[in-house]
Amino acid sequence: MTALAPVGARQTIWDRVKVVLVPAIPFLLILAVWASVRTIYDHPISVLPRIIDVIEVPFREERYWSNVRASIWRLVLGFTVAATTGIFVGLIAGLSRRVAQTLNPLVTAMNAISGIAWIPLAIAWLGVGTSMVVFIIWNAAFFLIFGNTMLGVRLTPQILEESLLTLGANRWDVIRQVVFPGALPYIMSGLRAGLGFGWRAVIAAELVGATSGLGQWIFEQQEFARADNIVAGALTIGVIGLLMDRVLLAPLERRTIERWGLVESSA
Amino acid sequence: MESLDLGRLTENMLAQHRRSERNEKIFGIFRALGPFVGLIALWWGVHAIFDPSPTKLVAPDKVVDAFFESVGEGVLPAYILQSLQRLGFGVIIGVVVGIPVGWLLGLDKEIAKAAEPTLRFFNAVSGIAWLPLLVTWFGFTERTISSIIIYTMIFPVVFNTMVGVRTVPPVLRDAARSMGASWPRIIKDVYVPGSFPSVMTGLRLGIGFGWRALIAGEFVVGGGGLGFFIFDARTAGVIERVMLGMIVLGVLWLMIDRLILRPVEEYTATKWGMVRQ
Repeated sequence: MTALAPVGARQTIWDRVKVVLVPAIPFLLILAVWASVRTIYDHPISVLPRIIDVIEVPFREERYWSNVRASIWRLVLGFTVAATTGIFVGLIAGLSRRVAQTLNPLVTAMNAISGIAWIPLAIAWLGVGTSMVVFIIWNAAFFLIFGNTMLGVRLTPQILEESLLTLGANRWDVIRQVVFPGALPYIMSGLRAGLGFGWRAVIAAELVGATSGLGQWIFEQQEFARADNIVAGALTIGVIGLLMDRVLLAPLERRTIERWGLVESSA
Repeated sequence: MESLDLGRLTENMLAQHRRSERNEKIFGIFRALGPFVGLIALWWGVHAIFDPSPTKLVAPDKVVDAFFESVGEGVLPAYILQSLQRLGFGVIIGVVVGIPVGWLLGLDKEIAKAAEPTLRFFNAVSGIAWLPLLVTWFGFTERTISSIIIYTMIFPVVFNTMVGVRTVPPVLRDAARSMGASWPRIIKDVYVPGSFPSVMTGLRLGIGFGWRALIAGEFVVGGGGLGFFIFDARTAGVIERVMLGMIVLGVLWLMIDRLILRPVEEYTATKWGMVRQ
């Protein structure tokens, strides 16, 4: 055992290096192709910017940060409203089987007319600007959160509810102790999907109907043919989306499912 | 005693059962339509009470008029066809490229390990975000729209194909091999059917995302299509056409999803799906 330990340790170090290095290969490959195409063909900046130009954008462009802030702020605003209304209405609707069954087709239809499709109507109603974008985020996220919450409430085993009632609990106790925790894993999935769709909706809404924000900024840069700014903006959109999902929501969802999910013990 | 005629009794019971099943079906349709009736009533009520300007909200009957009008002009059918063609083209490319890539990643763990983070990253950069860059590259053209659809739908197809191939139990592969099957045979008889349900799920998701991307692309690029129909009507201030376009969009998607994609997915799942346990 003692003789084998160092070998094992060395292997884990190499493994760790490999875990980081191997996934980096495709990224490096893309960068290499990009750099060489750029050097060989010397395209104008409107077609293919230099890598260094793209990296410099956050430090060079003053409007970059204000637009990032504007987009995130809108997302926070719209998503908060969507989450509170979605969970609240979903819980209430889920409590009654009949209401849930009645509303289900509506949720399906509203999810089919995705948030993006509402943009022109929202512009007609609210004009161009933050309130329009917030409405679109709400629209994109609300029905997902609402539908999932309702589903979660409906799928909570009736027997848990009944046993609590037998023990003398009132309606409010049941909601707090059974319905809400039971629905929580579904609520979390709804929130996670809603945030993803919401972020895409922000960008789409800003593209055609805002005077600020990342989406508007990259679309405006297209008019100036500044591909460096566009690429930096697009990559920023991806990084923000990825960070929100992986750092914030995915762990939260996992933990909720571990804590409150109805995992059947399979051992 | 004639009442003990068992044949007739069962026949009666069957007829009754059929009747109640039909009633249930009819009732189900009514139940599904209920909330929409409520929604339209609400819409009508809001319109009657607030009497908003015709550039913001019109009564539902105006939307129905707009439907017959734009069908009569031939605009709506032509645009629907155009959107469907664009989607169809994207789906073909998505299948031709996405499924082989997914297969490669599913069969080879090392390649998958190397490629997955890159794919996940680009999946996070939504297709819509590339729209401005595509416009600088290709202009306001068909190519821009196709690119955004393909880009958006390829990731779900690749990931789900990969998962499908990977979750084929190795024991099935080994069993086939121990009975002397060649690799092409194993791929054909084990991996293809085993991964099929997951591939179909990926396609359904991908087509759904592609559909959204198509609408966004048509908003920005224009040049016909349902997205353009809606966006153009907004610019012209014809709100009944905006709402008509949205409704057509939703109905069309539900039809594609419920009449084609879901049945196919369920069929493959029941035919080739592996029932756990």
